[in-house]
Parts: sequence; C-alpha cells; structure tokens
Amino acid sequence: MSTLTAAPITAPTIEYGELAPMLIIFGAAMIGVLVEAFTPRYLRKSIQMPITVLSMVGAFALTVWQGVRGVRSAAAMGAIAVDGPSLFIWGAILLLAIVSVLLINDDDHFVAEAAAVPGSAEEDQALSQGGAHTEIYPLVLFAVGGMMLFPAANDLLIMFVALEVMSLPLYLLCGLARRRRLLSQEAAMKYFLLGAFSSAFFLYGTALLYGFAGSVDLKAIATALSTVGGQDALLFIGAATLGVGLLFKIGAAPFQAWKPDVYQGSPTPITALMASGTLIAAFGALLRVFWVALGDLDAEWTPVLWGVAILTMVVGAVLAITQTDIKRMLAYSSIAHTGFLLTAVVATGKESQNANALSGILFYLLAYGFATVGAFAVVTMVRDPGGEAGHLSRWAGLGKRSPLLAGIFALFLLAFAGIPLTSGFFGKYAVFAAAVAGGAVQLVIVGVVTSAMAAFFYVRVIVLMFFSDPAPEGPTIAVPSMGTAAVVTLSAAATVVLGVFPQPVLDLAHTAAQSLFVR
Amino acid sequence: MIPNLVADPAGPTLADFGKDPLWISIIKALFIFVFLMLGVLFGVWFERKLISRMQHRYGPNRAGKFGLLQSVADGLKMGLKEDILPRVVDKVVYILAPVIIAVPAFLSYSIIPFGPMVSMFGVRTPLQLTDLPVAVLLVLAMSSIGVYGIVLAGWGSRSPYAVLGGLRSTAQVISYEIAMGLSFVAVFLFAGTLSTSEIVAKQASGGTWSLGGLDIPLPSWYAILLIPSFLIYVITMLGETNRVPFDLPEGEGELVAGYHTEYSSSLKFAMFQLAEYVNVFTVSGLAITLFLGGWRAPWPISLWDGANTGWWPMLWFFVKLVLVFAFFIWVRASLPRIRYDQLMAFGWKVLIPLNLAWILLVATVRALQNARSEQPGSVPVVLVIAAIVVIGALAIYFRFDTVNQRRREAKAAEVAADMELLDAEPTAGGFPVPALDLPHYHGVNGRKEVPSGTN
Amino acid sequence: MELYVPILVLAVLAAGFAVFSVGIAPFTGPKRWNRAKLDGYECGIEPTPQPVGGGRFPLKYMITAMLFIVFDIEIIFLYPWAVAFDKLGVFGLVEMVLFIVTVLVAYAYVWRRRGLDWD
Repeated sequence: MSTLTAAPITAPTIEYGELAPMLIIFGAAMIGVLVEAFTPRYLRKSIQMPITVLSMVGAFALTVWQGVRGVRSAAAMGAIAVDGPSLFIWGAILLLAIVSVLLINDDDHFVAEAAAVPGSAEEDQALSQGGAHTEIYPLVLFAVGGMMLFPAANDLLIMFVALEVMSLPLYLLCGLARRRRLLSQEAAMKYFLLGAFSSAFFLYGTALLYGFAGSVDLKAIATALSTVGGQDALLFIGAATLGVGLLFKIGAAPFQAWKPDVYQGSPTPITALMASGTLIAAFGALLRVFWVALGDLDAEWTPVLWGVAILTMVVGAVLAITQTDIKRMLAYSSIAHTGFLLTAVVATGKESQNANALSGILFYLLAYGFATVGAFAVVTMVRDPGGEAGHLSRWAGLGKRSPLLAGIFALFLLAFAGIPLTSGFFGKYAVFAAAVAGGAVQLVIVGVVTSAMAAFFYVRVIVLMFFSDPAPEGPTIAVPSMGTAAVVTLSAAATVVLGVFPQPVLDLAHTAAQSLFVR
Repeated sequence: MIPNLVADPAGPTLADFGKDPLWISIIKALFIFVFLMLGVLFGVWFERKLISRMQHRYGPNRAGKFGLLQSVADGLKMGLKEDILPRVVDKVVYILAPVIIAVPAFLSYSIIPFGPMVSMFGVRTPLQLTDLPVAVLLVLAMSSIGVYGIVLAGWGSRSPYAVLGGLRSTAQVISYEIAMGLSFVAVFLFAGTLSTSEIVAKQASGGTWSLGGLDIPLPSWYAILLIPSFLIYVITMLGETNRVPFDLPEGEGELVAGYHTEYSSSLKFAMFQLAEYVNVFTVSGLAITLFLGGWRAPWPISLWDGANTGWWPMLWFFVKLVLVFAFFIWVRASLPRIRYDQLMAFGWKVLIPLNLAWILLVATVRALQNARSEQPGSVPVVLVIAAIVVIGALAIYFRFDTVNQRRREAKAAEVAADMELLDAEPTAGGFPVPALDLPHYHGVNGRKEVPSGTN
Repeated sequence: MELYVPILVLAVLAAGFAVFSVGIAPFTGPKRWNRAKLDGYECGIEPTPQPVGGGRFPLKYMITAMLFIVFDIEIIFLYPWAVAFDKLGVFGLVEMVLFIVTVLVAYAYVWRRRGLDWD
C-alpha cells in the first residue's frame, strides 16, 4: 500500500482575514477580467478604473488596519508571512501602485490594437476607431497582487508562483506602448526571454534547496542549515542559482542588462510601476530568502553580495553617464540605487543591527519609489510630435520654457542624487549608516564615490535644462491631465516631506522592521 | 480460516499488486499483447461484418468461415506491400511516429482489470497486469503520448494534407481529453481512489442513501449513479479515438487520409490502424472499469454466488467489451460526420462547462451528505455554497444563451441581407459570376448553342 | 516501484513488436522505383514545396494547445481533491469552488473574445 493513500489528511487552514489585502487585489483583477468579457467596449474604461483604484485603496486601508492591529503571523499554514516588513512593503507597493494607476489611466500611453503589425493598415484602423486594451487594468492588478505576494512568501514555491504572477502581466504590459511599437515589442520580448530564463534559475535553485533541506519552507531550510550535513554542493549551487533569479529581478549587475532596454521600450507609466513596485517586491523577497532561509549561511553569501553590490553601483553610475536617452539614464540610475540598497543587505549582524538595516532599506525603497514614479510622470509630459521626447538634447532649455516642470524634475533628480532636504538624502543616510554599523565600511566608501559620480549626471541634466539655450523646435509640454498632475504633485510632495520631516515614516519603518521577518 | 482460500467478494485491492514473480508478469503481459492483437483482427472483421448487416450487405465472407480470416489476409497483404518512403519526409520522425503511436496504446491496457484473484500455476494473483495508486492517470498520460505520434506523423510527412490532418487530429484529441478527464472526477469523488481495481471493488454494491429516515439503495454501477458523467465519457471516447461521428482527421473528402496520408499501405500504416483499434479497446475497457461495474457480473447473473469468483469474470468483461465495441459500430452506422467547428465548439463550449457544473453539483451533494453525518454545524455553509453554485451556473447559462441568441439573429439577418443583395446583383459577392442573361444560355436571336470542341 | 515492473514488461513487448514491424516493412514488400510515387501526395497536382523545418500553421491550434494546458492542470488539481474529498470536508468544497470559479473567469474571457470559435 502506498503511503500516499494511507496518510491521514487534515484540512489546512487559511487566514482569509490576514490575507485580505491580497485577496481584494486578486478578486478585483478577476472582476476586471469579467468586465472585459461581459461589458460593452465603451463602458469598460469607466468601470475598470474605479474597480482598480478602489480595490487598491481598500487593500491599503486593510493593510494599515492590520498594521495598527499588530498582526504578525505566518498565514496559510506558514506559507505566507504577514509580518512587519510585509505590511510595510504592501503599503508602499499599494501607494505607489495607486499613483502609477493614475498615470496609466491617462489616454495615449497604450496601443490601440496590440496584435496589429506596427505600421500596418490594421493598426491605423484600430487607431482611428479609438480602440483600446482596457485589459491593462486587470493586468496591472494581477501584477500588483504578485508584487504583494512575492515579498510575503514564506515558502519558495509560493514565492515562485508570486514571481510568475508578478512578471507575466508585466511582460505583456511592456509590449503595449502606443508609440515606437517595435521598440516596445523588443522590450517585451527581451524582458520575457530573460525573465523566463531567470525564473528557470529560481526554480532550479528551489529544486536544489529542496533536495538539500527536504522542504521548500524558508524556516525549514534555515533549520536544515544546521542539521543537514554533507550536502554542501546542493546547498551552495541551490543558493547561488536562487540568488541569480532574485538578483535578476532587482536588476543587480551582472544581471542588469534587461533594465535599460525594458525601461526605455515600455509605456512610461508601466516603467514607473516596474521601477517602483517590482523593485520593492523583489527586494523584500531577496531579503526574506537571504536573511530568513540562508541567514546562517551569511559567511558564504556576504562576500558574493559585496562583489555584486560594488559592481552594481559602479556599472549603474558609470554607464548612466554615457546615456543620451532620459529613460535609459533613469534605468541606469535605478541600477545604481539597487547597488546602494544592496550595501544594507549585506550589513547583517546582531538583531538590532538587522532591524536597523531593514528599516533603512524599507525607507529607502519608499522614498526612491515616489521619486522615480514622479520622474517618469514628468517624462510622459515632455513630448515630441512622435511621442515622448526621449533624447536628452531635446530637454535642453526646458527650464526656460516651463520652469515649474523643470523645477519639479530637478527636485526628483536631486532626490536621486541624495541631496539634503530631499527624501533621497535620508534614504541614503539610513542605508549607509546601517552598512557602516554592520562593518561594510569599504562598501559605503564605494557607495559614496559612486553617489558622487551619479550626482554628476543628475546635475548635468539640471544644467542642461536650466542653463542651455532651448532647442529651436523643442518639445511641447503636454498640458497634464488631472491624473498626471496629481501624480507629479503627490510625488513631489512626498519627496519634499520625506526630505524635510522624515521622522514619522522613519519611525514607521523602524517599527515595521523591529520584529524582523517572522519565521 | 485461510483468507486466501475464501473468495473475496470485493476483489483485489491495491495491496494485492506488486507481488507477482516476474514470470507471472511476463505471462500476463504476453496475454494482454496477444489479446489486443487478436482483438484488433477480430475487431476489424466484426466491425465490417456488423456494419454490413446494418446496411443490408453481407460484408466479408470469402476468406475463411464467415470471412473470419479476412483481417488476417489484410494484415498479411499489408506486410507484402511496397514500403514507400516519400522523398520529402523528415525520415527519422516519419519512421518513428508509428512506433510512438503504437506503444502507448498497448500500455494503457496494463491497468485494466480483467477479473478477481485467481490461481495461476499455483500462484494467487489478480487478473490484471498491475495497478497503481494513480492508475487512471496512466491512461491519460499514455493517450497524451499517443498524441505525439499523431503530431509527428503529420509533421514528419511534410505534406499539406498530413500537416493539417495532424494538427486537426491533435486539437481534437486534446480538446476531448479535457472533457474526458473531467468526466472521471465524479467517479473519483465517489470511489475515493484512482486505482482501477479499487474502483471496480467500490462498484460491488451501491450502498444506501438515507433521506429522511428512508434508506434508498443506490445503484452500484457508476454509469447509473453518475449518468451525466457517463454520457459525457461516452461522447468523449468517440472523440478521443477519432471515431465516427468525430473522425474529422480522416475526413476523406477534405484531407485525403489526414495525418497518415503519406504512409502507404505497408506495415507502418498497419501500426496506425492497430493503434486506432487498440485505443478503441482501451477507452471501452476504461468505460467498463469506471462506469459499468468492471469485470463484475451484471445483475441477473450476479445472483449466482460464483459469478464473481475465479475465471468467470473474464467472460463478463469480454462480453461487456464486445457490447461496448458494438456500440461504437452502431454509432458509426447511424451518425454522419460533423463539421470541424461544430466538433470543437461542442467540446469546448458544451462538454467542459457542463462537466464542471456537474462536478460541483456532485461535490456539493456529497459534502452535504458528509456534513450531515459528521459535522452538522457546517450544513448551512454547504447549502449556501450550493445555492451560489446553482445561481452562478444559471446566471452564466442565461447570459450566454441571450448572447448566443442575439448573435444567431444577427448572423441570420446578415445572411438574409446577403441573399437579397445577391438576388439583386449576382456579382456583388466578388465572385466572377457570368450574367444569367448571356446569349448562349438562352439562345437569344435564335442562334444555336455551339458545343465545345467544335470550331 | 514493483508496481511498475509489469508495465515495463508490456512496454518492452509492445516496443519490440512495433519496432520489428516498422523495421521489416522495407524488406517484405517489392521495390519498384517510380519518381512520381515518391512525391508527396496532393491528389495529383505537383506537390507544394514545404519549407525546411516546417511551415507556418494557423494560430488557432496554438491557442487550443495553450487552453489545453490550462485545463489539463485544472484536472491535475481536481483528481487529488476528488480522492481526498471526504477527508477535506467543507474546506475542500469551498476551495475547489473558488478554484473552478477562477478558471471559469478566464474561460468566460476566452469565450467572449472568440477564442473558442473556429471559422
């Protein structure tokens, strides 16, 4: 008799209440699909948009409520951790997603008929008929749901499922830019192929770690580190391949190659969502894997992550200098910021040290997320006849034509550079202070040097905007819709507030990080 | 009391398998192999004979008594035909495809139970090659591998008919495989196992269903208890084996011979024919095992105590198999081939949703039954779910119904408009139709029509 | 594992038979070379040249294959659920209703977008 049928089965339990924020998002996504299926074309957008925003607001409210209630538990039989960091990350992702959705809701970003060959008669026809893929709303909801599940997964299989739920809609969304279709499709294809490749790495690592520990549970893997002996090959190869999968998702060098192409080709609102949400989610997952599952293995992985962090910072900062496209430059800047964040990931030590590093990372992610969404929102408004004015030379003299917009963009760039009185300063400070306390002084030195290099190209754009003569037939500044204006205002306000009066959010991050990850 | 000597009324269970010595396994495997080979020979003859009688013909009656040797002669003839290897084909795939399609067809039969425990050369063993905790999955897996044979045969032939036939056949088989797989779920719900021998054992007696103090005896065959599942299975088994009325892949009128167009009548072609018949036997055997009580004797015979012991059950199994196979032939004689879009629409739009709704219904009823006896507190929960399921199913059905109705009406209006337009102006459709009042149609001016070929 | 040995025995038998039949096929029959006979069969017209590595085929078949995978996985989830249904109780029912509804949402979408229609 096989043990399969003989083993008693007890019905598992699922804490629906604690998972409610995610369930709301996924439920809304499914309702969105039904709306796509059953409502007439002209009604879809006006139904989808409220569903999307309301579900996100509801999920955010529930997250806040759970934070207030002090929920700290591993839900769904320990597969999903609803703990301080998870709740903070959920809140951050939801806030940034709401902001991004306001941007996504704008007309003119997405293609009329994705299946039409670029430049073909079908495409023209779809354009003239005003076709639109309102599927983007459910897709965004699915992606956001995946982003929430990814850092909360306490089990490698759930994490993999979340990775796919997060990535697959994004692959699609990347290919839906309205203008420069070929570039957009190329971006989607690259992202998909490389993403699938990295997913395979992740899955392979999961399998090897399962072979090592006999479980995909993060806690069980942590326990197995001390109890299982003689399986080091499985453990090391598994941890390494798993790490490759995760480092790909955060875009750390040497796995950063996809980022510039994808950021450039995607519709800018989707770039904003990816640059903020995906980064936060992937960092949460990375932390959970390395700190919870492989926490006792830090002597082995710290040197590797040191190298990765240094390489990422240098590659991001150096290559950003050579960029001439604004979106590519922001992509490389995002890579550099990934490197800065990694300095705190390796700064592990005692519990209080870990909590400090974690709270620094959380604050940094939130601050960077707002600045990056705001920056991409500004990018959508500077337009050429053929779409967004990507080339940096087109931005020359923007400060003279539209001082307000250029000023706000300068604010975001200064925040990226980490100038005091912007959110970026406190983010960088928190992360570097934690890294110093954790003994990664050399890393911080590299970080400061590369920050200075990065500041150079940020300032270069500011100089270009304010001190160059405007191009004769320069780009037009689109009159922002309500949504875009709200996004820019919100992001700028967040950047300033977090830079001038960061204490409440720092405290919040600290409280969230205090309990560290549940096991 | 020696348990082995007492006839076990419930038959073997999973625990009785995996104990055979190798030579018993070889004997059983050889038996299945020979049985299937002879079955194919008999099946071809039986099909031709039966369908002839249904069409008031004699059928084969020259070779042997009643033409019994006809299929043997056909088989020999195939071996003596020239084996053509067309120039265009992808040789490796082309040669491999018949093997890939034939081998899994045989393997499915390894988990079909023929009978209870018997004594074979002094060894007590079940009349079944083997059984697995996931036995039915093996059948589904093997039929999926068989699909590779179809695809590769079409692909490797590299000719338009073969490629199209292969694609069509594949799409059809996988579409009906879903409905087939879903139709099993209700059986597993009731049997609580995927092992074929235990499913047969579960059909020994139906048990009772207590309703308000009354004990209503339930029928023992799942075919009666779960009749929607059975009906769906019967339809899908026709689709799965590419039999009439679903024999689209070989629609002679449109695709010559489908995926095996490029296989001349040699032994390679024989492999396809063989696999087709073996697949028919497999789905029939599965129907008997899962729905028709397996090798157990049907009702009047089952009153005799010895009916389900010893070697007798093999006879009942064979009888059932012949009857199910006769049903295949009956269907072939009665029904015309359906159109491909109808075939796919039927599989995807009717069988699958129907199946899912039925599964949920069965599960809800069963949960209600369990909840009543075990945890009465959860009865309201189950009732609420049942209500949601029923209302949801109805809502979706009506929604689709109205939409379909609207679509049909729109289509009819469009066709009517087209006809009207074409009536008014025959050239409107874009086809170069000669005007109906051309002189040579009517012989205007009293001129005689000039026949072609004269000058 | 010993449960699978008999299947292996049958597999060897069946594979031996199939390979033998396909293998001797070229030797048992006559050989009469004819150029036209070796062409692909297209009802008598000149065979259409087929691109190396296979040509294009309608996208519908790929959609069908992808839908098949979706539903096949659903079936794979349904089987263990059905087998353990009595032990899972109401929890099992609730979860499966949720799961089937999830799949049906996608199904309804595909249906409405004519993904199931053949023309």
